[in-house]
Amino acid sequence: MPAPFDPNTATVIEFGVGIDDRRGQRFILVPIDADIQAALREMVITTREEMKGVEGNPTTYDPSQKYGAQEHLFLPLNDELAANVLKIHTATNLTSEPTALSNPVDVFCYFARMSDGKGHRLTAIRRATTFKGVLKSRLLQLTTDALKLVQEKIFKLDRDFDLLVDETGVNILRPAGFEFVGALEGAMLAAMPNNIKAIRADLSYVDFTSIEDYAKHHPRAARYLASIRIQQETKNIDKGYLKKLCKKTGVQVSEVNGKLVVDEGSIMDFLGVLDRRLYQVELVKGSPESFRAASRSRIGDTSRGASPSSKR
Amino acid sequence: MSNTTQSEGLKVARLLMVLSSISPLFILWAIRGSKVVPDSYLIALCALMVTLPNLFLWLRIRAAKKHQVRRELVVGSAEDHRDHLLVYLFAMLLPFYPIDTGTWRDFVALISALAFVVFLFWHLNLHYMNIVFAIAGYRVFTILPPKDDNPISGRVSLVLITPRTSLLSGERVVAYRLSDTVYFEVKECQPRSTLTLQQS
Repeated sequence: MPAPFDPNTATVIEFGVGIDDRRGQRFILVPIDADIQAALREMVITTREEMKGVEGNPTTYDPSQKYGAQEHLFLPLNDELAANVLKIHTATNLTSEPTALSNPVDVFCYFARMSDGKGHRLTAIRRATTFKGVLKSRLLQLTTDALKLVQEKIFKLDRDFDLLVDETGVNILRPAGFEFVGALEGAMLAAMPNNIKAIRADLSYVDFTSIEDYAKHHPRAARYLASIRIQQETKNIDKGYLKKLCKKTGVQVSEVNGKLVVDEGSIMDFLGVLDRRLYQVELVKGSPESFRAASRSRIGDTSRGASPSSKR
Repeated sequence: MSNTTQSEGLKVARLLMVLSSISPLFILWAIRGSKVVPDSYLIALCALMVTLPNLFLWLRIRAAKKHQVRRELVVGSAEDHRDHLLVYLFAMLLPFYPIDTGTWRDFVALISALAFVVFLFWHLNLHYMNIVFAIAGYRVFTILPPKDDNPISGRVSLVLITPRTSLLSGERVVAYRLSDTVYFEVKECQPRSTLTLQQS
């Protein structure tokens, strides 16, 4: 596995912004001086330190999981969920436009791209919230012996980035930032037909027509489908066991011509069953309890444990 | 998401770079003299027109180096534009030098024609065409972007002034930014002798 990019070896540091205006989404470089380059380098180092500070080993990003504000998640570069972020990382000769910040409202993210001149590169991305937040503030400046309002546009760099991309993969500190910049909601809705197709191949005894219609208008369902496909654990699901778990967890399914048809009100729960989020325990004899896990990980994994689940 | 349009910034800087590129013409005019403008004025004006833009160009390169305003360019394909110097020669030096400014009207017509050519060079982003670069051993390449499927990649061709004699497809070059489309790669410092290098 390649070593993570060392920001101290960076010989070139580029800065850019993502703009969403009437021309669509664009990513543009803005020239910066050496001081800003040093600040961006520090931000990358701080991001790494904060990732190290998160308890446990990094876990693979799961689109159906509910995450905290700061985590240390990971995605391999070839994962389709990383596609949009990877485009920023691999783009060449990005357009340089110093006037890109003339309309700050359109800026939705900013990024730094570092290169050591030997083919190793790192891209760090942050959602532009604080960056343009200062614009709404009334800043004062002491000139000679009196305070004056600062008329110029002022931008603020954050302490750290939301995610880092290098040869090792995509390292995520803030899942919400990654989902926003990576336009994951749209990507998952777009990928939904392919995800259903892949899952349908494994579960030929399930009628996915109603699920597909539902997921077209419900991003959360599309997230579950993406998660189920990524886990690749639908291959040998036993029809009998599936029906049994559905019954135990209150998921309404009926069998028509040998195929399981999910009741429209139970579609999210059914996807929860396939995504290993709905389960039942019986610690008190005769009192089985059903749960939905907002976050879960397989026991025995070296990765971090699941966060507390909520009772159904 | 692709960006195929680009508004070139640094308008004043580009104008000064164009003026810097025509400085040899002012040297020739100062040598030749004029029948209507006294030498003292003409030489002073020509000296100003040679000194100021070139001083600006030097300061521009110096500022880019000082503030490390540089970026990595990826070569899709590169075209050597040494022949552009011929365009420069025919557009600038040869037509303007031989014009006889016997009257004030001739002189004003000459300055107006020069202003048109300067505007065209500025408008067409030909500010990189500078004989000083050629004398210093630099070549001018137009870099066409690599053909990839990434919609974010730049699609605008860029100009690279470099001491290299050739550029290969896929090569990555780190260059200083002179304008949004013109970049300058500095010559690497050569040690005076290998002995000095070993000792250090």
